[in-house]
Amino acid sequence: MKTLHFKVGLFAAATLLLGALFVLYILHARGFFEDTYRLQLAASTADGVAPGVPLVFSGIEIGRVSTLGLNDNGGIIIHAELLARNSKWLKENSTFTLDKPIVGGAKIRIDSPNLDAPALPENSTMLLLTSDVTKEIPILVERIKAILVNVEHLTRKDGEVNGTLANLQTMTGRMTGEYGMLEAILGSPEKARGVTDTLEKTRALITKLDSLALKMDGMAAKADTWLFAPDGVALQTREALAQVKLILADAQSSLKKADALMTNAVAISADVKEGTQDIVKLRAEIDDTVRKANAMINEINKKWPFAPDDPEVKLP
Amino acid sequence: MNFLVASIESLGAKVTGWFTVGYDIFAFLFRSILLLLDRATWNRATYDVVIKQVYFTAVQILPVFLGYALVISWLIITIILTTARDFGLTAFASEMTIRVLVLELLPFLTALFIALRSGSAINTEVALMKVNNELDALAHCKVPPMQFEFLPRLIGGVVSVITLAGLAGLLALLLSYLSIYGLSMAGFDAFTQILAKIFNLIILFGLIAKCALFGLAVTLIPITAGLETPKKLFMVPVSVLRGMMRVFFAIVAIEVVSLALKYI
Amino acid sequence: MAAVAALPDDVARVALDLPLRANLTALDNIALIPLYQRHFNAAESARQAQTMLDRLGHAGIAPLRDPDMTPAQRFVTKLARALILGRSRLVIDRPGAMLYDVPYPDFIRQLAEQTQSTGTWEIYDFSWNQLLYSQAPDQE
Repeated sequence: MKTLHFKVGLFAAATLLLGALFVLYILHARGFFEDTYRLQLAASTADGVAPGVPLVFSGIEIGRVSTLGLNDNGGIIIHAELLARNSKWLKENSTFTLDKPIVGGAKIRIDSPNLDAPALPENSTMLLLTSDVTKEIPILVERIKAILVNVEHLTRKDGEVNGTLANLQTMTGRMTGEYGMLEAILGSPEKARGVTDTLEKTRALITKLDSLALKMDGMAAKADTWLFAPDGVALQTREALAQVKLILADAQSSLKKADALMTNAVAISADVKEGTQDIVKLRAEIDDTVRKANAMINEINKKWPFAPDDPEVKLP
Repeated sequence: MNFLVASIESLGAKVTGWFTVGYDIFAFLFRSILLLLDRATWNRATYDVVIKQVYFTAVQILPVFLGYALVISWLIITIILTTARDFGLTAFASEMTIRVLVLELLPFLTALFIALRSGSAINTEVALMKVNNELDALAHCKVPPMQFEFLPRLIGGVVSVITLAGLAGLLALLLSYLSIYGLSMAGFDAFTQILAKIFNLIILFGLIAKCALFGLAVTLIPITAGLETPKKLFMVPVSVLRGMMRVFFAIVAIEVVSLALKYI
Repeated sequence: MAAVAALPDDVARVALDLPLRANLTALDNIALIPLYQRHFNAAESARQAQTMLDRLGHAGIAPLRDPDMTPAQRFVTKLARALILGRSRLVIDRPGAMLYDVPYPDFIRQLAEQTQSTGTWEIYDFSWNQLLYSQAPDQE
């Protein structure tokens, strides 16, 4: 009985001691024995900030947002609380950035570039910057898409582009004047202007198509039934797109001509030197336009839900 | 038609049975609480039996239990850390291990451990007492079995689950610190921050309350199941079987309710 | 023998169907009564129980548990438990079922003389055992 009592007593004492130590440690960790350091952050919008959002310094949480409120001017004032021991990381030149990562909750990142700078006094108001990843995503995706298309294009036309450029290197251009070598090849400035005009038009057309495609995207995503209703937008769109197709076919032929010209020009340019720069620019322009138009047409063909018997739009 | 009536009848009988069982359990709990409030209960003898019960349910199994907690914690921590590293979520790993282990898994496993070891023993013993007329003999002697048989077991169960789950939790905390930061004080501040974030007072009291409920479930239910055994020796295994099923359902129910309260 | 079981509460009974608490020693079984009925402390209760066993001449069985006792020792413990209740009437129900290894009428008589108890002892037994109690004080 005595050893039993001793063992139970030892067990109880050890457990109580450990439990009490743990509770004390938690109270210490939660800053029960310490002063709270308060801080205000001014922001244009409270989007993504809520009470409990952590203040993070070098990846370690040192405080939390306690409340949010509006000031007299309609701005957002965010009240944050830190433990006194953590306030040493806040300097007058510290920056506060709202981070909204794709994975994980929002947090306010604190960067103190110079830890020797004077300490930030308590209750001071700092500006909260925003680096919102979610807002940047669409732009980023567009950029990546463009790069991918470019890369694809370059690899596909690698031989041709390289060959052309190599040819152009050897070319000597004697032609001067407003339209440079084109003028010489086509015979008159008017004809040369015609080619460049076509290019301009194509470019403008592509810009328009771009916006149209965006709209179509939205429509397709929003309401299929609405789109396909007999007298709904679909019919109008169909007509509009039919026209677009015609224009594109036009552009196609013009571009074909220009392409043929280019091929000729490359052949001729063997003994032409001074028009090189013009040709390079033009070639680049045409290539660029063709690329954009191609992408556009692919997109339209992909989305085009009607009349598969229509001839496919193709560009050189 | 007869089939329908019969099935409705059997359903009704089942529901009535559940209500009877539930009523018995809560009535018993109520009586024990009343007895706890009675000053006459708190004499040296009851205290001695409580100590004996704590010894049998907690102290006696401490080395085995801590070894088991160590292995389970180490496995879970390793799995979580490895997975978190693979997915680049190391920042959440320590919080995840603490939440999974200290708040949920270890109290649950402790309750299961005590239920398997002490709960089944209590159930068998009470059933045998009932079948052997020992309870009648005590009644004849006007000695209430509640004070020296049942109440100490309830207290012992509650104390044991709370202390064992607490010790296992502390062990898991230590182990997860060592797994993440190794043998250095370098991560102490970060770890303290994480702990401060997880353990507010509500969570801490909720954890203790949950462990207390677990301890109550693994002793109260076996006692009532043992008490309702018919006076036939072959009914003892049946009584233990029923009691342990109820204990299992009660433990799961407590865990589910606590999770729902915490995260919903 | 329903009549015996239906006896009022102020009768202390020694019977086969009132067993000892199996996981307690003989001493603890007896000490339960002063401990929980009269709220003596543990040491005093144990002392009273030991005194009772001494008077019955079986001081040595104090640390034994139910399964380790002979039928006679078990009977003595039950008797001690019944005596310590301090009720005026003591009924021994079918002693033959409990004392199958000793000539029980003499054994009981001897115990009764040792205790010098004040109350009455009654023995209920089957009529075909009447011959055994040739000088028995009470018979039925």
